[in-house]
Amino acid sequence: MRLVRRSFLAGAAAGAALPFLSIPGRAAAKPGTLVFGLSSYPPSLLPWVQAGTAAGTVNLCVHRGLTSYAPDGTLRGELAEKFDHDDKNGWTFHLRKAVFHDGSPVTSADVKWTLEQVAAAGSTAYMAPQFRGVAAIETPDAATVRIVMKEPTATLPLWLAQYEMPIVAHGTGIAGKPAIGCGPFTIAAQDHGVSVTLKAFPHFYRPGLPKLETLRMVAYADETARVAALRTGDVDIIEYVPWNAMAAIEANPKLALQTTNGPFMYLTFNGSFKPFADARVRRAIALGVKREDIVKAVFFGRGSPLGGMPIPPGTPFYDAKLANGWTYDPTEAKKLLAEAGYAQGFSCTLLATAQYSMHMQTAVLVQQNLAALGIQVQLALPDWATRVALGNRGQYQFAVGGTSADSNDPDGLSAIIDSSLAPSVARSYDLPVPKIAALFAQGRAEFDPAKRRAIYDQLQRVLLAEAPMVSLAWRSQGYGLSRKVSGFYDMPGALTFFSGTTLEQTSIA
Amino acid sequence: MAWVLRRIGASLLLVWVVVTVVFMAIHLVPGDPAELLLSQGGSAPDPAAVAALRGQLGLDRPLLAQYGSDLVGLLHGDLGLSLQDQSPVAADIAQRLPRTIELLCAASILALGFGVPLGTLAGIAPGGMLDRAGAAVSALLLSVPVFVVGTLLVLVFAEQLGWADAGGFVPIDRSLAGHFAHLAMPALTIALGLGAMLYRITRAAVLDVALRDYVRTARAKGVAPRRILWRHVLRNALSPVVTVFGLQFGALIGGTVLVEYVFNYPGLSGLLVDAVNARDYPLVQGIVLVISVLFVAINLTLDLLYAALDPRVRGR
Repeated sequence: MRLVRRSFLAGAAAGAALPFLSIPGRAAAKPGTLVFGLSSYPPSLLPWVQAGTAAGTVNLCVHRGLTSYAPDGTLRGELAEKFDHDDKNGWTFHLRKAVFHDGSPVTSADVKWTLEQVAAAGSTAYMAPQFRGVAAIETPDAATVRIVMKEPTATLPLWLAQYEMPIVAHGTGIAGKPAIGCGPFTIAAQDHGVSVTLKAFPHFYRPGLPKLETLRMVAYADETARVAALRTGDVDIIEYVPWNAMAAIEANPKLALQTTNGPFMYLTFNGSFKPFADARVRRAIALGVKREDIVKAVFFGRGSPLGGMPIPPGTPFYDAKLANGWTYDPTEAKKLLAEAGYAQGFSCTLLATAQYSMHMQTAVLVQQNLAALGIQVQLALPDWATRVALGNRGQYQFAVGGTSADSNDPDGLSAIIDSSLAPSVARSYDLPVPKIAALFAQGRAEFDPAKRRAIYDQLQRVLLAEAPMVSLAWRSQGYGLSRKVSGFYDMPGALTFFSGTTLEQTSIA
Repeated sequence: MAWVLRRIGASLLLVWVVVTVVFMAIHLVPGDPAELLLSQGGSAPDPAAVAALRGQLGLDRPLLAQYGSDLVGLLHGDLGLSLQDQSPVAADIAQRLPRTIELLCAASILALGFGVPLGTLAGIAPGGMLDRAGAAVSALLLSVPVFVVGTLLVLVFAEQLGWADAGGFVPIDRSLAGHFAHLAMPALTIALGLGAMLYRITRAAVLDVALRDYVRTARAKGVAPRRILWRHVLRNALSPVVTVFGLQFGALIGGTVLVEYVFNYPGLSGLLVDAVNARDYPLVQGIVLVISVLFVAINLTLDLLYAALDPRVRGR
């Protein structure tokens, strides 16, 4: 057969068309393999660093701590089968039989090593400040560890349940020695920037778990691409479902949507800007914002107004009245401004970021609402990196924030509300409220649930009066799932970002 | 030879200038990689932890010292480590660059495959059906944003017809068919815009050359139309097409970010944008350096191609 130009061109054209015509849409799913669509590639998998949701989800599969949260959000023992406190600031943890991924047993020496690394000078651990409150770590035997705190600390088991607090094998988790964990999965492969492939750890201490053989976590930074991947079956679960896609996922018979109101939007203030040093002005702003509009316009109705301390409904410390202490009341807001000497309003700049539309849109609505009070707001919308830098340095007047508490316990909000702590992008700047700091300390030291509740009730009242931060709206945090997936749960409230824990019991049909 | 050496010397100088400007720019804009890494999700990092991380990453050193060590590293072929996960920058680029080059090559083949032939046909028959239809379609393809084209392709081919994956990447050693299936839609998305541009350039160039005296003379001498087209028209008309194609290819090495995002394709552009957002200085510098070198190399190649296509250029 002679190859002529016409037949060559025809062949080439047919070859070029092949990818569009004959190749099946996607590789058939392997049994026991689940593909999880992450919202980003984990920037770091260091064990004790807060490196975002994606990193947290991967770490929750690879590591385990002394305590953890059950799917319904209740605190439970994890590597510690049981734990209790004594009257000498001590907490004793009795370890279950478990092994690390290298086959070595989990012992009290590993727990001691972990806590020492977290609290060490030069540590980059998220929980370092909390664990610098440890006075001594006793290891009477391999299966028992007693942590003695400098002060009475009722919240220690909560701190240990943080996903930034995994227990790692002795001698690992430091420079040049990757952390060895004891979670239900091990890292089998990493395609940098693309995916992390996890394999079931056959010696995981919970019998029959994990149910999946392989868990492939693929990063989809673009939310539209992430949703499309779920719709087409490329992935089985996605995190960070965009609010505008939630209705379509709910309506799709092949998909399911799980949501919880955990993260929230709020305003922080710089106390060195004169008007915001006055609690009456901050309270006026709290009363001058239409929170329902934020929920409708920014979150497509997927959330709810939040006018008080962000304690999730359904948790023991929630009080509906206190949680909605600030409601839209422009008359009272104007009265407060007049009392503070700003009857004609004032001009200020609101810092947010154009990189995340929820921040930008919230800022626009706040700007519109405050104009009605005579407060002329100019928006500053740099990229996220600049916004963080300006926030940490206090180079702003007031700012839009969006985050989640460390836990559903009010103590998990201290890093956001207690502005007497060191400057941070997450809390107000140069605006110490000693009463709030003292009440957080009291709550942390109190073991009696009823007395704790009274303390946090009082704290909520002080917050409403002083307004060191102004909460705006809960935002719905959602996971989209294929109906073939079972056993995965979006954990309640602030624990939504701990939902990766339930991947140990997740299976796929 | 001296001309080539002069061009190479000037190119190296240009690369150094680009690296220096990028170093200064990325360090002078607000944003701290240590703060960013520890403030994920709007969390409140311990300032002592941020300071410790800055020390570990060497960010507490004077700016000139950082520049000096970066430059020495570059001269030794060491692009440094990513500030985010301490992975070697060279390895990150070596992983992403071939994917981008492959994507652009596939897109170029498609774009050249329809842009140049159709542009030629339209140019030799101005005002005809093809010319009029081509003008409308190319205007449409050039005016529709690339992310709209990509999203439409996903909607039609992935969501509605189920012929392709919505996006992603499959290594060629895992599945040949899967690899090309994942390459097809992003390549087509780029090719539609690039091809439309090549169509217009080719049409204009062919139209211009076809009216030249030497073409008329060739026709008057009775030279066969096909021979006139290949030897006299196309050969002279291709210079601007090569120029535009080369510049576009160079620009696309770092400019396919929207396509990469829409199709979740892990190329170099997305890595660059992520690195800038994370203020990952070594990664930004490394990628910009590689893109600059490639851009300069493409320009050098183009100059040599001109010389091959147009003998008058030689010796200038």
